[in-house]
Amino acid sequence: MVNLTIDGKKVEVDEGSTILQAAKKAGARVPTLCFHPVIEPYAACRVCVVEVAFRGKNDLLTSCNTKVEDGMDVRTASERALRARRLNVEMLLARAPAAEPLREIAKELGIEKPRFPVKDPDEKCILCGLCVRACEQIVGACAISFIERGTDRHVSTPFGEESEACIGCTACAHFCPTGAITVEDKYGRKVIHDEMLLGPTTAIRVPIRQAVPMVPFIDKEACIHFKTGECKVCAKVCDRDAVNHKMEDTIQEIEAGSIIIASGFKTFDPRRIPAYGYGRFPNIITAMEFERLVNASGPTGGKVLLANGEEPKSVGIIHCVGSRDENYHAYCSRVCCMYSLKFAHLLGEKTKATIYDFYIDMRCFGKGYEEFYHRLLKEGTKFVRGRVSEISTLALTEKEEGKLIIRVEDTLLGAVRRISVDMAILAVGLEPGIDHNRLAKTFNISCSQDTFFLERHPKLAPVSSFSDGIFLAGTCQGPKDIPDTVAQAGAAAAEALALADLGKVELEPITAVIDDKLCSGCQICVGLCPFTAITHEKDKGISVINDALCKGCGTCVAACPSGASYQKHFRDEQIFAEIEGIFLI
Amino acid sequence: MKPEKIIAEITLSGLRGRGGAGFPTGLKWQLVRNAMSSNGGQKYIVCNGDEGDPGAFMDRSILEADPHSVIEGMVIGAKAIGATAGFVYVRNEYPLAVERLSIALKQARAYGLLGQDILGTGFDFDIQIKRGAGAFVCGEETALIASIEGRLGEPRPRPPYPAQRGLWGMPTCINNVETWANVPIIINRGAKWYSSIGTKTSKGTKVFSLVGKINNTGLVEVPMGISLKEIIYDIGGGIPGGKAFKAVQTGGPSGGCIPKEKIDLPIDYESLSEAGSMMGSGGMVIMDEDTCMVDVARYFLTFTQDESCGKCTPCREGTKAMLEILTRITEGKGTPEDLTLLEDLAHSIKDTALCGLGKTAPNPVLTTLRYFRNEYETHIQDKKCPAHVCRPLNVYTIDPGLCLSQGHGCDVCRRNCSSEAIAGQKNEAHAILRDKCIKCGVCYDVCAFGAVKVD
Repeated sequence: MVNLTIDGKKVEVDEGSTILQAAKKAGARVPTLCFHPVIEPYAACRVCVVEVAFRGKNDLLTSCNTKVEDGMDVRTASERALRARRLNVEMLLARAPAAEPLREIAKELGIEKPRFPVKDPDEKCILCGLCVRACEQIVGACAISFIERGTDRHVSTPFGEESEACIGCTACAHFCPTGAITVEDKYGRKVIHDEMLLGPTTAIRVPIRQAVPMVPFIDKEACIHFKTGECKVCAKVCDRDAVNHKMEDTIQEIEAGSIIIASGFKTFDPRRIPAYGYGRFPNIITAMEFERLVNASGPTGGKVLLANGEEPKSVGIIHCVGSRDENYHAYCSRVCCMYSLKFAHLLGEKTKATIYDFYIDMRCFGKGYEEFYHRLLKEGTKFVRGRVSEISTLALTEKEEGKLIIRVEDTLLGAVRRISVDMAILAVGLEPGIDHNRLAKTFNISCSQDTFFLERHPKLAPVSSFSDGIFLAGTCQGPKDIPDTVAQAGAAAAEALALADLGKVELEPITAVIDDKLCSGCQICVGLCPFTAITHEKDKGISVINDALCKGCGTCVAACPSGASYQKHFRDEQIFAEIEGIFLI
Repeated sequence: MKPEKIIAEITLSGLRGRGGAGFPTGLKWQLVRNAMSSNGGQKYIVCNGDEGDPGAFMDRSILEADPHSVIEGMVIGAKAIGATAGFVYVRNEYPLAVERLSIALKQARAYGLLGQDILGTGFDFDIQIKRGAGAFVCGEETALIASIEGRLGEPRPRPPYPAQRGLWGMPTCINNVETWANVPIIINRGAKWYSSIGTKTSKGTKVFSLVGKINNTGLVEVPMGISLKEIIYDIGGGIPGGKAFKAVQTGGPSGGCIPKEKIDLPIDYESLSEAGSMMGSGGMVIMDEDTCMVDVARYFLTFTQDESCGKCTPCREGTKAMLEILTRITEGKGTPEDLTLLEDLAHSIKDTALCGLGKTAPNPVLTTLRYFRNEYETHIQDKKCPAHVCRPLNVYTIDPGLCLSQGHGCDVCRRNCSSEAIAGQKNEAHAILRDKCIKCGVCYDVCAFGAVKVD
């Protein structure tokens, strides 16, 4: 620890601290311009000068880079320091009168107008070099530097041309304290770094807003450190030293008594129905995209806007996209009707648009759902009963020009209608989640015709799989809404607890056994066993059945070419004896 | 000799850096020797030959005439501090120096005086030439290091000093050409002999480049402690044309002007600093009574303003602001407030600039203000330049009597006047039309009869 005096106040700071840090601790305000806590001090603006009496000398030193030493007597606002600081700020102000942070410091020091001639009243660059240093020290790209000298000095790329070393990270603009560096409008989109920090391309983010655990991660694709080996600003600013750039994805093995599979769903990709024009025409969005659009933290701040930034005057919501359709999924996805009604309600609240709702049947099965449908009927949503056949931009009349035209057979009217809208929302159905098939194989779970996981019994064991200790919950078992999912998850948890509470597993009394004298070690049974209960013992050259896993299905018994595998209570001799008994009567 | 013995000898000799600041060379070597190198022993030595002061060419003469003395000095220095590589940073504007130094290096290598296992002692050392690209600021040691490393030639704050963290972060000993050239003599003839020359604090000899209004211009090597008077009158042969001596500017753009009242000043580091100037690299510009001190200050400011790297505010903006004020004064547009602002600026720049260039840039202004303040005041209040150098302040008139009696109205002035500001014809007395005169001074220069007067 180092002891020094700041403005007459005794302070104790860590060795290696700067005077600026000590001043902050002592509560003294020293203005800075070219200083940034995560970049090496540059000591160029000379605004942070303080008067230091040390070892019999009395000097003006820049506080941003001067290390503290025992016995220093620092005066941050002595007459000499203030005079020099004022003059430096005044000179800078004549150079860059439009630099806001500079003007603030000038105001603080009582400078209204510089006494020196102003060359460019719109100049913002104060030549603090933060951009240059950020590019070199943090990004490691060295794409920009100072060129020329003296008053001609300015920041530039090599030869003033587009720099090949630039990785387009816009760190320079981010670190620029005066806004002198602006980011160019490229690829039809205005890229402002601050917006990117909040948006989905920031390198550090929480995967989704509802993520559990709510922990941020580093996206290697977006992180500057993984591009240039530099930066690590996050680690520098993290007080808790929680950032670790060396951390890799790890595979963890956890031993568990029972497993609840709740692998969820993914939405139907509407590109598979080309007639609906998704991805081909603008303003056709999926339900998930609409959810993001109306979200207050979304890209438009919750406003429903078209691609051109205008509010839609009419919106069509199309039900059963990918569901109840022999060509895609025959099943009903169960949730689309209700979320579509919710969208219609939200649209009515947020816009003045005419809302069309194209449905086949309105399936409002849950508690209070039907009432909600009636409310929507009263709110003025126009319900059209019939499956939409096509969404196109092919205008037949002048009125349809520039709009999306929805062709639908109105079954209540008995006519084909053309309805033009500004925006179409596709109520996409539910499909088994990603990795669904791999999970099925890993856990030996059967799938039903609709490819969702099959429960052991639809009525008596709706949350169990065919394997003991493996339970199903939620949409991996079939489409269902949140209340149903929660209920099923609760049931699955209860089943798992019941198993744990029992402390033992009930075995099947009727299992298969392999006679080691007859087994030839052909391993046909190993591949066939649906419960992975058979293992091959290499040293003995035979296959062995694990009694705890065997469910007594008899597959191996039927398949064994040498008759080595037999089922307890159902041995050939027993069956034959039974047959004989029947004939004897 | 053991390294410790070499350093002790240099320390004892009292040799101080000839680049200008006068840091004791022995102490610097000791610091570099003691400094821990981050990669286990790598240390560098550098010879600073980026001689940029206007009118100074001491280093050039040494590099061109006796490069071996520098090489020898560097080898001795390298052995003393434990360096294995050395650099000579020399201006690209000195092609002959570069050529001769290259030859000398080749010869030294051929004789086994450089390279691996020098003279069978097991000591390895070699020297490389690095050529500067013409920036004055690269004579500042941290900027010079940056330049050798291939980075932008701009200074960085010290500490850490190059002795702690220099070239590529390694302890580095930087000395001026003349300093290195002094080393072999000290080792050859002993510290005692060397320290017998000079004053109490400044030992040995120093080369000055004597230029300006003096009869014998050129380089002079004099013992420290010699008075200005001896240099100017005994060696320099006095002022030409019988003019009166007015001041001497020492230390180049970083130095200051010493007035004739101080002509008995002994030349050493301390006395020059006390007088507001500095030893510098050894430039000495002699000025006679026809010199305007405001103009001299303005000239040097033009140089420093042009050579400022632009990194720190006081040097970049301050030298420009000072130059603007000085230009205003020499144009007769100065105000008394300008003088206060100029003084404030000069003090503030000296106080807060980042490197030596900026810190010393106000010296020409400060010394002229100190010794010749009345000249500034005359410029501002009376709008007159006593030396008639600042032409916008001059008022030209023609003495009609002289014009007619001596020159018979020769008409030369009228024919040479570019702005048709002279009225008259042959055999008549001429006169200057004030409203047309652009004060170029051509008439004054061409009049053979002294009829054109300047006031």
